[in-house]
Amino acid sequence: MIIVRSRLLALGVTLMASALVTAPVAVSASASPAPARAAEATSGQDGKVLRIGVSREVDTLNPFMSITLMGTSILRSQFEFLTTYSQGSMTPEGALAEKWETSEDKLTWTYHIRKDVKWSDGKPVTAKDAAWTFQKMLDDETARTANGSYITQWESVTATDDWTLKIKTKVPQATMDALDIPIVPEHVWSKMSDISAAPEFPMVGNGPYYITEFKEAQFTKMKANKNYWRGAPKVDEIHFVYYSNSDAAVSALQSGEVDLINPLTPTQYDALQGEPDIQLNNAQNRRFNELLINPGAATNDGTPIGNGNPALKDVKLRQAIAQAIDTKTLVDKVWSGYATEAAGYIPPMFKDFAWEPTGDQVRKFDLDAANKALDEAGYKKGQDGVRLDKQGKPLNLRLLTHAERDIDENASPFIKGWLKEIGIEVTIEPKSDNQVNEETTRGEYDLAISGWSANPDPDYVLSLQTCANRPNADGTGATPDSFLCNEEYDELYAKQLSEFDRSKRIDIVKQMQALLYDEATLVIFGYDNALEAFRKDKFEGFPQQPTGSGVIMFQQSYWGLLGATPKGEGPVPVYDGSQGTESGEDTTDAAAEESSNTGLILGIVGGVLVVVLVVGLLVARGRRKTADDRE
Amino acid sequence: MTVPKNQPSPRALAWRRRGAAFTAGWREFAKQRAGLVGLGLLAVIVLLAILAPVITDREGLDVTKATGDRMESPSWEFLLGTDRPGRSVLLLTLWSARISLTVGFVATLLSVAIGTIIGILAAHYGRWVSAGLMRITDFFLVLPSLVLAIALSTVLERGIGTIILAIGLTSWPSAARLVRAQTLTIEARPYIERARALGGGHFHVISKHVLPAVLPLVFVNTTLAVGSAIVAESTLSFLGLGDPDPMRPSWGSMLRSAWLDSAIIAGAWWYLLPPGIAIGIVVLAFTMCGRALESVLNPRLREG
Repeated sequence: MIIVRSRLLALGVTLMASALVTAPVAVSASASPAPARAAEATSGQDGKVLRIGVSREVDTLNPFMSITLMGTSILRSQFEFLTTYSQGSMTPEGALAEKWETSEDKLTWTYHIRKDVKWSDGKPVTAKDAAWTFQKMLDDETARTANGSYITQWESVTATDDWTLKIKTKVPQATMDALDIPIVPEHVWSKMSDISAAPEFPMVGNGPYYITEFKEAQFTKMKANKNYWRGAPKVDEIHFVYYSNSDAAVSALQSGEVDLINPLTPTQYDALQGEPDIQLNNAQNRRFNELLINPGAATNDGTPIGNGNPALKDVKLRQAIAQAIDTKTLVDKVWSGYATEAAGYIPPMFKDFAWEPTGDQVRKFDLDAANKALDEAGYKKGQDGVRLDKQGKPLNLRLLTHAERDIDENASPFIKGWLKEIGIEVTIEPKSDNQVNEETTRGEYDLAISGWSANPDPDYVLSLQTCANRPNADGTGATPDSFLCNEEYDELYAKQLSEFDRSKRIDIVKQMQALLYDEATLVIFGYDNALEAFRKDKFEGFPQQPTGSGVIMFQQSYWGLLGATPKGEGPVPVYDGSQGTESGEDTTDAAAEESSNTGLILGIVGGVLVVVLVVGLLVARGRRKTADDRE
Repeated sequence: MTVPKNQPSPRALAWRRRGAAFTAGWREFAKQRAGLVGLGLLAVIVLLAILAPVITDREGLDVTKATGDRMESPSWEFLLGTDRPGRSVLLLTLWSARISLTVGFVATLLSVAIGTIIGILAAHYGRWVSAGLMRITDFFLVLPSLVLAIALSTVLERGIGTIILAIGLTSWPSAARLVRAQTLTIEARPYIERARALGGGHFHVISKHVLPAVLPLVFVNTTLAVGSAIVAESTLSFLGLGDPDPMRPSWGSMLRSAWLDSAIIAGAWWYLLPPGIAIGIVVLAFTMCGRALESVLNPRLREG
């Protein structure tokens, strides 16, 4: 009889193992059929609340310190900048500054501040607030942490009267009408002893919303600014609810606990297709994804740092690696088609500056050609099919990736597979985001997956590839991207920064991209779309940037949140002056039936497993009791 | 002291005795259906894992050569469907068995070897050796082994070797305690005293008398520990500490990919269940074998 006990115990343990594996399936499948109840529980409190499910953490809500996408985009709605980017064309448009002009020599900029803007505590916004903010950044290194790059060439800032701001720069600067710097109220911030401290809530602001509450890794709450100069928003509150697991955020959307989520993975996006109450948005994004190839990292004074494979200093080898990467397959397989194939450094969303290789310069994906080029360049194959470098060592490269990031996890096996075909062995090394940042900044990588969100003004991303952007000896002081240091590129960079003729500047920017393409210190994978979803039973829609086809969240402005329109409150506003458009794109109703059925089946299977487990454990426990008594 | 002509040598006698004991043990083992089923399952799984390179093509693990679509549901071409890059889940499950079983076996051997050595030394030498070794054992026993394993595999370079080391170095204390107890009971027996009286040194006593007597227990312990080592390997791989090489999947890393690729939201049960069930079956098989062996060695556990 006693043997039965051990057998059942064993069964129990095993079932527990498999139930642990299947339990989440049961949970998520059972979560979807009850949307209404959960929704009513949270909404209907005080006024209209827009709840946004996010899976990115906020670093800090201090506008001088925040650099993460989540933190900065919350602050976008909190503080008005001098200028913002228009909804339709993403060109600079007046915000706090009604209009602005520059002197003949392009060194003095005069901004005329809007007179009807008030802080959320009722005090008027004047040029002195702006002057104080900028002066603080000029004086205090800590205040330059987040946005210091904009003011490195400034000489002085003065408020000549309450409504006029004058900025003098040392050299002409083309980005003066696109200064992404939050302007803070002097009467609050001048009293703070530590400029880097966490701000107090509610936070006084002049944007469409102001922050009332923040709990790290839980939520950020914002209230509508009823005095907002463009007119009060239609929703009363915005709650950013943090989910550490993006699948949990999707479940929350399905059950109505949140109204809007971004980003979705292609799998999640497809799974949501056909849900009757959910509107999907597949928008072109401003992000490029790249593979960095370490060309021999060095500090800003030219001293080599890091431990990159020296063979990669050879541009021929880098070009062969670039040729062995198939952007079409990556778009199809990694992004399931929700992306654009690779071309130049600037994402195609910014039509003016985007560039693509033409004629002889094009490097089409061709493993045979890459192999041939490597043969010609003298990289002979060793016995095991791995090529040898010029010193006779086999070419083994490390590939640094962000652990748990969708693109990194899915693209790295492809890169490994392709490079193996051209005789290069790759070891994938997934690391935490912070580790990846540190190691790429110190040049401790051979290959690494990276990416940046470009701005409508390309200056920032272009500056990443200059010699000056290489770090100092401690690996700090600047943000390098690919450790390129090319004299011609640097000359072109300086030229575009002081070029005020837009078409000439575009030409220079395109030349720079062609140069980057040839140097192959980075290979563009493609530009993934932003995939978003919102509950159309609660919201009419949101203004997109660009209008009608762009993103709702993480815009280069606040249009999406400012114009959030609850169900039944009329058309979604457009801030362009052009005719109104409904936001969102058509969604197909296929594939829904199937997925909801499998969800149900999975729920049942999981449920049965759990029941069997519980019964098994109970029986096992009962047996054990009697067996113990006997012993 | 001459040996009579037709009397076999002591060595041969000892082997004959061992052979008889083994046969008797096997007979006892064979009486237990659960044990036999477990053994059969294990034999099949190990055989499949060993033969994987013969019956399947490893190239199928290379994502650039995957032929399926994203998360295709089971069909005749892909009996268990496909994963996100379009590889056959059946193929992945089969190849994962190699890594999972290898790690399970080697890590357990490592942990049992450490445990046995420490246990025997502690019991045999007693006094301060015992006190010292047992305090070390206690230290490792109270450390949460998963946390320690995670810390180890974060510090060391990624790969199978690290996982084996992490599991092996964290799971030996219970084996050490068990072996020490068994050694103590054996060393209390008169024949050990006799061996000592006849001039047997430490090495002789340990290798000729103590070790053979504790080995069966060690063997049972090993069988039971493989299961938990496989679960530990899956846990570490699921947490992203396993071998990141896509050509060397394990059941834990398959579960991780399924989780990262939102297989749950997409309803792709074929991506999620096979590795989970495979872990369940293998652990069950090891437990069934181990329990049966235990009752062979310990008559008190026998039925009836």
